[in-house]
Amino acid sequence: MSLMENMKMALSSLKAHKLRSVLTMLGIIIGVGAVIIVVAIGQGGEAVLKSQIIGPGNTIELFYQPSEEEIQANPNIFYEAAFTQDDIKALEQIPEIKQVVASSSEFSPIRYRDQNADSSIFGVNQPYIDLNNLQIARGQSLTSSDFLSGRRVALISHTLQEEFFESKNPIGEVIHIGNQPVEIIGVLEKPTGLFSFGSMDIYLPFNTWRMIFGKNEITQVTLQAVSTDQIQTAGEKAVFQLNNMHNTEDSYQVINMEEMAEGIGQITRIMTLIIGSIAGISLFVGGIGVMNIMLVSVTERTREIGIRMALGATRNQVLTQFLIESIILTLIGGIIGILLGWVVSSIVAFFAGWPSLISWQVVLGGILFSMVIGIIFGLLPANKASKMDPIESLRYE
Amino acid sequence: MIELRDITKSYSLGKELIAVLKQINLSIIEGEFTAIMGPSGSGKSTLMNIIGCLDKPTSGEYFLDGENISEYQDADLARVRNQSIGFVFQQFQLLPRLTALRNVELPMIYSGIPKNERMARAQEALIKVGLGDRMDHLPNALSGGQKQRVAIARAIVNNPKLILADEPTGALDTKTSQSIMEQFSELNEEGTTIVLVTHEVEVAEYAKRTIIVRDGEIVHADEPKRGSQQ
Repeated sequence: MSLMENMKMALSSLKAHKLRSVLTMLGIIIGVGAVIIVVAIGQGGEAVLKSQIIGPGNTIELFYQPSEEEIQANPNIFYEAAFTQDDIKALEQIPEIKQVVASSSEFSPIRYRDQNADSSIFGVNQPYIDLNNLQIARGQSLTSSDFLSGRRVALISHTLQEEFFESKNPIGEVIHIGNQPVEIIGVLEKPTGLFSFGSMDIYLPFNTWRMIFGKNEITQVTLQAVSTDQIQTAGEKAVFQLNNMHNTEDSYQVINMEEMAEGIGQITRIMTLIIGSIAGISLFVGGIGVMNIMLVSVTERTREIGIRMALGATRNQVLTQFLIESIILTLIGGIIGILLGWVVSSIVAFFAGWPSLISWQVVLGGILFSMVIGIIFGLLPANKASKMDPIESLRYE
Repeated sequence: MIELRDITKSYSLGKELIAVLKQINLSIIEGEFTAIMGPSGSGKSTLMNIIGCLDKPTSGEYFLDGENISEYQDADLARVRNQSIGFVFQQFQLLPRLTALRNVELPMIYSGIPKNERMARAQEALIKVGLGDRMDHLPNALSGGQKQRVAIARAIVNNPKLILADEPTGALDTKTSQSIMEQFSELNEEGTTIVLVTHEVEVAEYAKRTIIVRDGEIVHADEPKRGSQQ
């Protein structure tokens, strides 16, 4: 008997008990759906975490870690500039480096008319704005002339605008950092994404920041390489250059991105595995539901089995018939579960602002796995059916 | 065509061994119309199940068309039932969710006949039993007599050598019984071997030869007689 024949037969007997088939499938639908959702969200989260660590657009961070000798020689070393303007200029000459992002920050009290608050004040250079994707919601961004001349202009974060100005237009208003006035020229977009929380931030051109705080130091330097595969080379060249300029051995360092990303990947994979196995348990329970219903179905159809055997069905053909029925049951359930998982994880991904990662491997795996569930939990009922005695079965009422 | 040699069948009931058939020797030649009669509990149903390859004898040999069936495994017995035997049961035994046509197609599904041929042959068989206009009816939309005709169509569709009818009129009224029995006579005249199990004398009269079973033994057997065409 052909496979097509078997499948048609299975579909028609599943159709004969629509409600029961749908309810049985529900266990598989929920199980497969849950596994797909967990895996998709896990992979999406991993991708987001990795990209947040590596940074957007092939970037890598430099940091300064003085050695013991340097600390002994100069106990005040931590208060001195880690990076200077000259360092930045030298780094910009390295061919693998596209641009150098530099920033410093201070925590400082701020004031607008009679309102007071504390805020992080960032002094940034021009590449910082593009690279950190600071989108302007109102007003305008900092221009090259603002950076060059050190005008007293500022961008404020969405949260700060809400805190100080509520619905008023803050553009053109003057805010005091300490007792130094700066003019607000732009408001940043509200940050999106699940891990972004609003904070009270002010962004100034670095030269302005330097004047306000009277410091020339640059605390944070991020390199943008010309391409992804140049990141590590760019970082190594930069570190070599800086250690040379400062006469240090290896106090200037660069984070090994690949190792970091691997570590994060490991953590999210373990999380996914744990939650995924809980979802897997629900799939297992769904499988038991299938077995239960198939056993009922076999008993109910004892006479049908007897008739088929009398007409020449072999035990193998009866076994195959019931096995295919349970495989089709779990396969349809699995496909619906995959669709459900896809819809739910797309919705979650949409609101969390990260990519939904349903790969063809996950879909194929889901389909194959639900078929395997059908085989495993269909085997016992199908075997029971095939072991029936035709004479007894024909007499069954 | 059927050759039973020293067939016995016994069941163990607890520690006791109950002999249902004792040393049955019987031969039925091709083209015969034989009625097996006997009171209930006589073993006639067991005898029929053995002839129909639904049951295996405890001992003895069974030759069907020269093949030693008593040595066959389950899968071979299924093939013999499919190819060589057509069953007609008292309770019709049609699948309730399949139309008359699909019910008649069933044996051919198990012999791997392609769909188009299956349809054509099933239609032909239904027309032959006079149900050409009821092919797409489900069994519960048919009368008892019509159901039994569907079962007969199903029994003959694979051109078996032997038709086994187990109380085929047991669930039918007298008039319908007569027309069903006439159908069997007609098939026998075309050359099909028929073995009929019944306890009704009027039904057995349609057969050419009568065998009486009592307490697991054949107590009376007519001489073999071929169908009227011979």
